[in-house]
Amino acid sequence: MVELTGSQSLPDSMSPIPASTQLLAVAWLRWRIFVNSTFRRQPKNKRQIAGLVFAILLRIVVWPILALMMVGPIVGSGFLAWLAISEGRPQGLAGLLLGIALLWQFVSINGLSIAASIHSFDPASLVRFPLRFGRYFVLRSLLGLLTASTIVGSLALLAAALGIGIADASLALPALVAMAVYALMNIYLTRMIGAWMDRWLANRRFREIFSMIMALSFAAIQFMNLQRAPMRAHGARSGLFLSAMHSSGPYVYWLPPGFAAQAILLAKHPLAAFGQFAALLASTALFAAVFAIRLKKQFLGEYLSEGVSRRVSQQAAPRVRMPALEAAAQSAPAAAGAVFSSTVAACLRKDWIVLRSNGTQLIGMMTPLLLVAIFSMNRAFSSSFSGYFLPAAIAYTLLGVLGPLYNVFGADGRGAQLYLLAPIRMRDVVVAKNLMSLAMVVAESGVAWIIICVFSRARIPVSAQVSTALWTVFVVALNLAIGNLRSIQAPRYFVPGQSRQPRGGTPTNRTSGLLVLGVLFGSMLLQIPVAMASSYFELPWLGAWVFLPFAAAAVFAYAFVLRNVEHLILEHRDVFAEELCKA
Amino acid sequence: MAETFFEKPPGRVYRGFKQAFMMTPAIDTTTLTRRFGDFTAVDNVNLRVDAGQFFGFLGPNGAGKSTTIKMLTGLLAPTSGSIRILGEDFEVRSAEIKRQIGVVPEGMALFGRLTAGEYLQFVGRMYGLDRVTTLNRTRELLEFMQLADEQKKLITDFSHGMQKKLAMAAAVIHGPKVLFLDEPFEGVDAVAAGTLKAMLQRMIARGATIFLTSHVLEIVERLCTHIAIIHRGRLVAQGALDELRAGARRTGQAGIEAGAAPPEAEKRSLEQIFLEIVGTDREGNPGAVTPEQELSWLS
Repeated sequence: MVELTGSQSLPDSMSPIPASTQLLAVAWLRWRIFVNSTFRRQPKNKRQIAGLVFAILLRIVVWPILALMMVGPIVGSGFLAWLAISEGRPQGLAGLLLGIALLWQFVSINGLSIAASIHSFDPASLVRFPLRFGRYFVLRSLLGLLTASTIVGSLALLAAALGIGIADASLALPALVAMAVYALMNIYLTRMIGAWMDRWLANRRFREIFSMIMALSFAAIQFMNLQRAPMRAHGARSGLFLSAMHSSGPYVYWLPPGFAAQAILLAKHPLAAFGQFAALLASTALFAAVFAIRLKKQFLGEYLSEGVSRRVSQQAAPRVRMPALEAAAQSAPAAAGAVFSSTVAACLRKDWIVLRSNGTQLIGMMTPLLLVAIFSMNRAFSSSFSGYFLPAAIAYTLLGVLGPLYNVFGADGRGAQLYLLAPIRMRDVVVAKNLMSLAMVVAESGVAWIIICVFSRARIPVSAQVSTALWTVFVVALNLAIGNLRSIQAPRYFVPGQSRQPRGGTPTNRTSGLLVLGVLFGSMLLQIPVAMASSYFELPWLGAWVFLPFAAAAVFAYAFVLRNVEHLILEHRDVFAEELCKA
Repeated sequence: MAETFFEKPPGRVYRGFKQAFMMTPAIDTTTLTRRFGDFTAVDNVNLRVDAGQFFGFLGPNGAGKSTTIKMLTGLLAPTSGSIRILGEDFEVRSAEIKRQIGVVPEGMALFGRLTAGEYLQFVGRMYGLDRVTTLNRTRELLEFMQLADEQKKLITDFSHGMQKKLAMAAAVIHGPKVLFLDEPFEGVDAVAAGTLKAMLQRMIARGATIFLTSHVLEIVERLCTHIAIIHRGRLVAQGALDELRAGARRTGQAGIEAGAAPPEAEKRSLEQIFLEIVGTDREGNPGAVTPEQELSWLS
């Protein structure tokens, strides 16, 4: 047996661990995870190699586009800062800094999915090591500095400082110092918001309330947008936006962007500038302190999981009757057992129970319907695009419900093993999953259809409705076919309705996500020439005749995939087991 | 035989130190309580584990074992009560205490995108070991745990048993005085389990304290000198195995505080004692369901 001789060179185990040792260890950990995730992927077969090549090509295309999208705000910040100083309109600087802060938060929120797709580790797991809170706080402040929001925001602020320096060289140094502190303020503001949102979103009830607020906010913005500024009246909309910006000016001076702007502009009056700079420092410290309060709770061992029903588990379990299961079975679609085979009925019941407890998903389904209703009620909008409004609205509502078709087993996690072990046909399981998905698709698009027919001021001809219905059948059947393939080939474990996924990933595989968009937008593009030709040649039923064979082909493709499910699952069971069963 | 890094050189001075050291309990909790909303997972637990004990912490599923371990290792804050490890208050000196303890937690908490060697090096550095010591111990532990041939593999590709061995290696790399093990033998093959048991017993012989939870009562019976049983969040028995035998025989139900074992104490297995204590409901009625009563359809 190997003997653990070890090294006895630890002179005094209770001497403090140098901060640099632990900080470097965490930096090294992050680096190794990055290196291993990037260069140690070992594709095992041709299909995986093809997938890897596709993923690399995708990055080569997408990342430069993302980078270009970020260049605009950065260059724009520099130019606007230069303009504000050189043109003698310094009051614009506070507005610019407010804009950069909003951009910072916007990129931070929208960059979450990108960040989630990059392999990392949960920084909260560091609490098990012998760290003092101060060191933990420093580590948490440093980790994640290389995120898109920090890079874009910092570069925008640097560009603004350069712009100011070019316009007035005497302001260059104060601008650099103030922008550096303002960047720090933004970092802590982002961290503070992120940490507290994580805390609140850990609670299901809060997630549902939050989703509802977000849905209503989007709907309200669109409603105001359409009510205040009719279509094609861009000037009016811009005027509204600018007047809102202008009227908010005096208030911005009492906020960190105002403190930073004043600290630069009052540089020739040191006392006043120092006062503003102190206010900026104080706001940075405030955000850091609120962030620290959250971290301290985490450091001391906070419990965030929702866990099980506590009250029930404390009581003695009933021996024979299981009322919870019986109630769930009774509340499931009642006819399921009578119409379908026992496997399909059982799977439908199970998925119904999962869906029923996922309020966030149900609220998410309401948002597109609200927006469709708002647009339908707007005469200018619905009549301007009467030919395209129905298919466009249906496509929009489908966008949210088609994604889950590409990962139907994801929510089952390890439970998916049962499908492989039980003496059942996998086709029955897939049929059940598809029926549940189809029910959601039909409900979502059906309600949208009714809303459009009821609220739309322009009459939608029957031929257009038939054409749209056949197009919808085509899109849904095609997505079901490809979705079933992807669900077996590239499943991804996720917890429904949870913001922080167990493996830090997204609920759908990225390639699958792109396929959803590709299929939907591709089929939308098909609509345009068909609608134009229909209108030009005055053939109202042309769309129906064009989409009928497409729909039939898509249904055939779906049936073909369904017929080969058993073979597919056998071929891909290793990936299936690895991705789902090792969850 | 080469000296292991778990041990201190035996000698008069060391023995004196060991005696003094052992007077302070390694783990001492006072009215330790943890609530999750309305549910009390751990209820007024007073636990005392003396230094040098191999302590088994038992209980049925959901009894509060893992919650207790999480509190004892600083991963979960108690709702009330206090924890002292090696005589120090956890709330006051958590960083110092964490340096003296090793943990194999319930979910192992490994970083899947590292190799085993990289992970051990990271853990060693986080515990303040110098670079050379960390590298030496990493190499030795990988060989000891029979993971040396898997150096290029990422942890995420390890089997469950291999991950368990790695978690164990990470828990001992800094030579802890108190080791907390949550189901350490789950999924570990017989050869590795034997190696691990031998390692743990050597650690005990050299003065370490081990706090172990396991559902495999034979292992606990073979390894542990002292045992506590938690049931529905409450500590229902605590003491040496012989004391538990005597206590359980005397009262025949939960809620005992083990007394001195009479010399003629009946040598019942730990499993029998455990079932006797936890196989009752709150009123003391037998809760276990006999095969004749239920599941009659099973062949």
